[in-house]
Amino acid sequence: MSTGWMPPPAWLPLWLLAPYGAAFLTMLLPSLSAPLLLLCCASTAGIGAAVLINNTNLTMLLLGSQGVSLSLEPLAGWFLLLNGLVCLAVWLEARHRPWDRMGWMLLLVLLGALNTSFLTTDLISLYVSLEVVGISAFLLILKGDSANAHWIALRYLLIGNTAMAFYLIGAGLVYAQAGSFQFQALAALPSGAPLVFVLLGLLVKAGVFLNGLWLPRTHAEAPAEVSALLSGVVVGGGALPLLRLEQLSPEIARLLLPIGLASGLLGVIYALAVSDAKRLLAWSTLGQMGLVLLSPAAGGAMALGHGLAKAGLFLTARHWPTRELSRWRDQALDWKLQLPIWLGSLSIAGLPPLLGYAAKTRLELSLAPAPAAGLLLLSAGSVAIYSRLCWAPWRRDGAAEWPLGPWLLTLALLIGGLGFSLSTGGWLKALVVLPAGVLLDQLLQRWRQRGMAALPQLDRLPDLLGGLGLVGAGLLLAINAGGEW
Amino acid sequence: MAPIRLLELLILLAALAGFAGLLLRRNLFLKVLAMDVVGSAVVALFVLLAARSGLRSPILQRSGELLAQDYADPVPQAVILTAIVIGLSIQALLLVVITQLARIDPSLDTASFEPVERP
Repeated sequence: MSTGWMPPPAWLPLWLLAPYGAAFLTMLLPSLSAPLLLLCCASTAGIGAAVLINNTNLTMLLLGSQGVSLSLEPLAGWFLLLNGLVCLAVWLEARHRPWDRMGWMLLLVLLGALNTSFLTTDLISLYVSLEVVGISAFLLILKGDSANAHWIALRYLLIGNTAMAFYLIGAGLVYAQAGSFQFQALAALPSGAPLVFVLLGLLVKAGVFLNGLWLPRTHAEAPAEVSALLSGVVVGGGALPLLRLEQLSPEIARLLLPIGLASGLLGVIYALAVSDAKRLLAWSTLGQMGLVLLSPAAGGAMALGHGLAKAGLFLTARHWPTRELSRWRDQALDWKLQLPIWLGSLSIAGLPPLLGYAAKTRLELSLAPAPAAGLLLLSAGSVAIYSRLCWAPWRRDGAAEWPLGPWLLTLALLIGGLGFSLSTGGWLKALVVLPAGVLLDQLLQRWRQRGMAALPQLDRLPDLLGGLGLVGAGLLLAINAGGEW
Repeated sequence: MAPIRLLELLILLAALAGFAGLLLRRNLFLKVLAMDVVGSAVVALFVLLAARSGLRSPILQRSGELLAQDYADPVPQAVILTAIVIGLSIQALLLVVITQLARIDPSLDTASFEPVERP
């Protein structure tokens, strides 16, 4: 093995295993669930923040030369911070719902498996942790307990497992050619079928472009807290390994750039056309995950900004009077709900000084001029999407209960945003994009009212599987044509 | 073509056949079985990769010093054990959900579960 590896510090395996132990304890002693969950979430967020602040760079190998390789670097730090905060917010909201010990156990297992998937840098450990993430997310979706929930959950697991089977074929071929399951081994190989298979699996898990067509319906139909988890962090389990691969090989980054932009476009178009608020959020997740993949330098910040805001928005969904966007203007919302909705929306739309703006500026700086211009157009589209959520009248009596989860995430958005935005310029551009987006929304509003927003339905089961095949074939063709699309 | 390459090709064809079944079958139960065909092909691929070159059962005739390449590679075999267990549990979970869905449509036609609304 290369010489850069060291044995991990003792706290690291302990911290990685703690959520699983806590999940076990929660099943036995449900009264312990609150302190255990708090501890696990807080330590995850704390470690994420510490890694970001100290710029830590640790690569480690557990259990010898063919063991589990872990890497703790700022890129993983963004996702760890996101994971801790979103799980904490979900816990704050779900406390008042009839969540039983089963729910807490699944939340803890999900937290632990996501932590593992964010740290690991070999294909097999990643496979195992992503499958655990998939199974616990599947069981959480089933908490919806309607016939529709059964169908949505089944679809989710079926697609996820098929994608991971392809991923394993890729991993096997990598081992046959390079004799190792490390990400570096994959990145060092000349691109070919092994890379395509691995990318296919990860793109499905990240919910990007045609591979992510499962995402909108799944995220829209799940219970509000589960949607927040899925859209906030679970998609990151696929996105972070893709960012790592992009970091290791510029060729992979070139290959994924058009997919990311296309995903952004697809998400914007459908989010502008749908009439259901939760589906709007879900389609926008598909678009934003595409943007996360555009650049490894800014991907972590983008994922944090998007995940915090989107989880906060989904968490407020339970208190909405209606999901129908056409009736959104008639129903007043309490200011305690309006404020997180507005700030979350404005953050994803990219308004300073929120975290979403800082992340988008970072992304723009790290891109070549042509994709950066595309990003600017997509930003105007995002503004148009999220201005649709901001039309509800305000109610000032404060009768509603405090939605603690969304407020926690909103605070994180504000604090993080103030920390980063003050050092970045270019506020003017954001202030030009904003009215352009609102104008676009107004134009589309008339068009929608005339009932012309009929787009083809893209998320039935055959479409999902077909999308998988199409992207795979496209990637292979692109590689054979010399790495350019 | 070396026989072992031929086997590898057959295994990849089996995975492809499973994927085709997943796409073309309308019955949900058969779709899940098709997914299992893909999974089995993956397991076979790993076992084949671990065998390196031999086609017969790994009982050595030769005595004397043994080299590393005389053994099957243990790493892919160890790895695929985990994948088999995960595949089995996912299969079980899917079948449980299918029994629930069978109350809506006993013929398990996938089209009957898809909602008819707009995007």
